Amino acid sequence: MEDYLPNEYDVVVVGTGMTESIVAAAASRIGKKVLHLDSFQGDVCKHKISDEYYGGLWATFNFDGLQKWIEDLKVSKTSAKDVSEVDLELEEKFLKTSNEYSTVENIEETWYISNDADLPVVSSKDTQTDSTGDGSGSGDEKSDDDKVEKKENVKQWSIDRIRKEYRKFNIDLAPKLLFARGELVELLISSNIARYAEFRAVSRVATFMDGKLTQVPCSRADVFANKTVSVVEKRMLMQLLTSCMEQGADSPEFDGFRDKTFLEYLNTKNLTPIVQHYVVQAIAMATEKTSCRDGVNRTKHFLNSLGRYGNTPFLWPMYGSGELPQCFCRLCAVFGGVYCLKRQLDGVVIYKNKCKAIISGKQRISLEHLVLGQGHLPPEVVVSEGEQRISRGIFITDRSIMQGEKENLTLLYYPPEQPDQEPVTLIELGPSTNACPQGLFMVHMTCKRTTNAKEDLAYVVNKFLKAEPLDPLAIRSSIHSHTQTVSPDKRHIQEGDQDNREESTEESPKPQVLWSLYLNLPASDIKLNESTPSNLHLCSGPDLELDFDFAVNQAKSIFESMYPDKDFLPRAPDPEEIVLEGEEAPGPKFEGDTEAEEKQDVEKAEKED
Amino acid sequence: MEDYKFLFKVVLVGNAGVGKTCLVRRFTQGLFPPGQGATIGVDFMIKTVEVENEKVKLFIWDTAGQERFRSITQSYYRSAHALILVYDISCQPTFDCLPDWLREIEEYASNKVLRILVGNKIDREDREIPTHVGEDFAQRHGMYFLETSAKEAENVERLFMEIAAELMEDKIQARSKELPRYETNTTSINGKTTSIGDTSNCGCSRLS
Repeated sequence: MEDYLPNEYDVVVVGTGMTESIVAAAASRIGKKVLHLDSFQGDVCKHKISDEYYGGLWATFNFDGLQKWIEDLKVSKTSAKDVSEVDLELEEKFLKTSNEYSTVENIEETWYISNDADLPVVSSKDTQTDSTGDGSGSGDEKSDDDKVEKKENVKQWSIDRIRKEYRKFNIDLAPKLLFARGELVELLISSNIARYAEFRAVSRVATFMDGKLTQVPCSRADVFANKTVSVVEKRMLMQLLTSCMEQGADSPEFDGFRDKTFLEYLNTKNLTPIVQHYVVQAIAMATEKTSCRDGVNRTKHFLNSLGRYGNTPFLWPMYGSGELPQCFCRLCAVFGGVYCLKRQLDGVVIYKNKCKAIISGKQRISLEHLVLGQGHLPPEVVVSEGEQRISRGIFITDRSIMQGEKENLTLLYYPPEQPDQEPVTLIELGPSTNACPQGLFMVHMTCKRTTNAKEDLAYVVNKFLKAEPLDPLAIRSSIHSHTQTVSPDKRHIQEGDQDNREESTEESPKPQVLWSLYLNLPASDIKLNESTPSNLHLCSGPDLELDFDFAVNQAKSIFESMYPDKDFLPRAPDPEEIVLEGEEAPGPKFEGDTEAEEKQDVEKAEKED
Repeated sequence: MEDYKFLFKVVLVGNAGVGKTCLVRRFTQGLFPPGQGATIGVDFMIKTVEVENEKVKLFIWDTAGQERFRSITQSYYRSAHALILVYDISCQPTFDCLPDWLREIEEYASNKVLRILVGNKIDREDREIPTHVGEDFAQRHGMYFLETSAKEAENVERLFMEIAAELMEDKIQARSKELPRYETNTTSINGKTTSIGDTSNCGCSRLS
């Protein structure tokens, strides 16, 4: 059964990723008729497992939703319609669309803990009677050995318990932070879309120095309170930062370094190793190869964003990055955009090098502009599949990588140890972000793909996490089965067994991984060929950068090419500002917003008819 | 400073055409717009009511038409304090869809959200769902129940006033501590959530 959709639109957007959603909102906002579709990657009709969801490869799932998403990927894909099945008019060409450019590869899911049934009686009783899982419940008096641990950690985690509390997890496929003065924050404010979302400031930026993790001083107060840096170094640091900040990359200060690296520039400044480390690894998040210009710009971006919200320059969207595309979708809908998440795009009808319509099921839907997420492209228009492919690792752990007061939201940039490795961005989310229940942490690692996700990230996983069960013989990797036997987790061993010397010798034990997922996302730098119809616009998937700037800028340029003379997402009115039929006192005018007024008038007129 | 003591987010769900927008408009503006289409440009409505001499501000969110093809954003449900699930007493299919809506609510709304089942359009002669059937359903799923008519303004005021009173009581008893958003003071950033926006020309809808 198919829902019938109206047949004609100004803009049809397929895919609900970040860029697609911003474009949809922008077009709807200026009064264009927008249809926004999405469909599953798997077979739509026969093997539907997961629910409709927003975000495509930018989505955030709860634990259950993620499992279904993984299941869906395994289902073999059906090919879309054949040309012969489509009614075409003279000189029209039909291009079948494909989801091959959003293929997720090397999915590897592993449990490091056991099922309730496999636990000793005393503890399984404990976990099975737990109904809410709010952590500090009753029945924990049996074990005093763990008193040093947080109270909510006392009860041990089992596979069943994690599954049962699936709603308390929000797991990002592509986690991203927002620079407090980055493109997205500015856009959310200027468009008034900020009201749909809620954020938490990243509580600390960490760096790995002298064999351990330390917090990078970000604010002026932090710098001066920091005991690891001397007064001379503090002055040095402030001076350097000021010159990056005030002068920018075009300043004569950097004249001699146009074709040199950021590191080469810093080496001329006689910085001490600590100061240099902070600047390169934490502030500029640079490698040896980063150019001076990029380094300065990145430093500037970082510093610019300081002091706006919280102690670091970054914000994290509550409930995950996948909320943000939805905010734009909501705005699109508020201004009349039509939403349907269960419609597959079969193909595109081309006439005289213009996209004329799309075919979706039995319907032919005509359009002026077609905006396609990269998972919905006809292969004929793709000239390069791109190289910036992404390796991702997601870990549920039992404690922070750096325990302390500010452990609720940590960013760590970890540069490669060997030449063949890629720098890894690590975001650790505590329960206050709604990423996981009390007592757990969610660790996201992201880097450029070289081999596969697991291998690419291994050096960082080994450095910071304990990603192995205590008894390696009892575990096997779970991709197809959830009934595997696994060994008990570490805490269980501490409770039930005296043999835990390995742990007790370490000052601060590494977080134990309870569950992990590795996956490879497709490249974000896919290119279309020259002869692609000019009214077909490509929206890339998640990119490697930490923030959303790429998506916002891509959306802006797509909108500009569609409607060069129109405002990009002017401020949406607040409810108080909307004059509705029959209201006595007129509210304030919308600022710079004639379209919406017109729309309101049209609506009014229609009603009076 | 805004003159209110409590601020709550109320969201409406239910099939297209059951009268969600009419309920909101009736309550916030005293209007019943006949034959209106989808609501363009209207995001949510605000009304401040008085409960036991305290000002309570309600933000009432509508679905923006996304329910038509069952494509409501999850973020719509986030941090709602109360959720009104509406069906049309003269239209069986809108009642039959309630379990689907409940599933979605379970999935995305806070488990502490106040849930109210509303059978709308009791002014209609062609009733298909008897009151007790709606009542039973509500009871089985731990929801409050009320039948309304947006057209005749029946029980509409009562619906929202009871929600306001109930939420306020919850708040006073601090049971709704965990409901995350729309606290009256979210300005501090450390350890608390942040709403972003210019504080300078802040309307009451923005909470920074």
